[in-house]
Amino acid sequence: MKNRLCICISLLAFSLLCSCVPKSTKLQEFPGVYEEQPLSIIILPPMNESTAADAKEYYSTTIQEPLAYTGYYTFPYPITTEILKMEGIYDSELLKDLPVDKFKEYFGADAVLFTTIKKWDLAYMVIASNLTVSIDCSLRSTATNQELWKYNGTVVVDLSGGNTGGGVAGLIAKAIVTAVTTAMADYVPYARQANARALFSLPYGKYHPQFNKDQDVEFIDQTPEE
Amino acid sequence: MKKSVLIFGAALICAFLIVGCVPKQIYYFGNYSSTLYALEKDNNEAAMVAHKQELEKIIAESAKRNLQVPPGINAELGFMYVKENQPDKAISLFQAEAALYPESTLLMQRLVQMAEKKKSEPQDTLSATEATPSQN
Repeated sequence: MKNRLCICISLLAFSLLCSCVPKSTKLQEFPGVYEEQPLSIIILPPMNESTAADAKEYYSTTIQEPLAYTGYYTFPYPITTEILKMEGIYDSELLKDLPVDKFKEYFGADAVLFTTIKKWDLAYMVIASNLTVSIDCSLRSTATNQELWKYNGTVVVDLSGGNTGGGVAGLIAKAIVTAVTTAMADYVPYARQANARALFSLPYGKYHPQFNKDQDVEFIDQTPEE
Repeated sequence: MKKSVLIFGAALICAFLIVGCVPKQIYYFGNYSSTLYALEKDNNEAAMVAHKQELEKIIAESAKRNLQVPPGINAELGFMYVKENQPDKAISLFQAEAALYPESTLLMQRLVQMAEKKKSEPQDTLSATEATPSQN
């Protein structure tokens, strides 16, 4: 009962806070996307700043599908990375220094998506453990070199809850913990969630019915506070 | 009798409401991300076959559902055919990609050239494996 009261109060506080913050729209946040209307995006191999060596390969399999769903032509990632590898540039750190107009020249891409894996880890604490996946996304125009869109998609999953006291919530939490640990802490579903959060803020592309109609859609910053 | 008509009507209204609410899917992607992830994770023949079958399924299923094949799928399957030394199949898939998505034309032209080159090469398997860039 006390719990419920707490939730109610925090919800109320949250909604009050929300109404105070000035709202901004996708157009105000990312005018470059509407000006240039890029149609095609090449996804570069992610830069990995996390401590997990395999994060780069795994994360790279999660981004093409949701990006295509936002309406852009996404160059087939397995092909473009292999071409880059043949050219001797697989290291994303090298890619960062490459002039972006090269991607227009070679692939015909209107924009380049840079992704950086900031966090891909489990943090064990005394009473809790958190799984965090955090991805920085940045879309750069190959025509003007300006940054058209950026967003950080972060998902923090609380894996604790072993002793949340009985009740249904406690049981559910426990079940989730078991599920996650048996899956050997599979990060990919959370990476997909992080992508979904990030891409939610990206203006739609040509192949989406809402293309060029979402200027006034509210921009929502879902990045959790540190 | 009347009651059943009423129920039927209500069901119809419900169906319309549901259809109206659900945003129309623009693509059918099947299990693309999962099989690609498995391929990356296991990097073996079985995962490769599974991913190829998934690409074929996506193309067939998209046609069945009257949807455009998602970006990159035709090309990715074509790329697999290049590696399997079936350049003709590859070329028609690259052309299909370019026809669906004009944005891909430049890259598809390059891939068609690559496949054509393969065609003029001797067909023995040894040179084919040499020409194929190493996995990984």
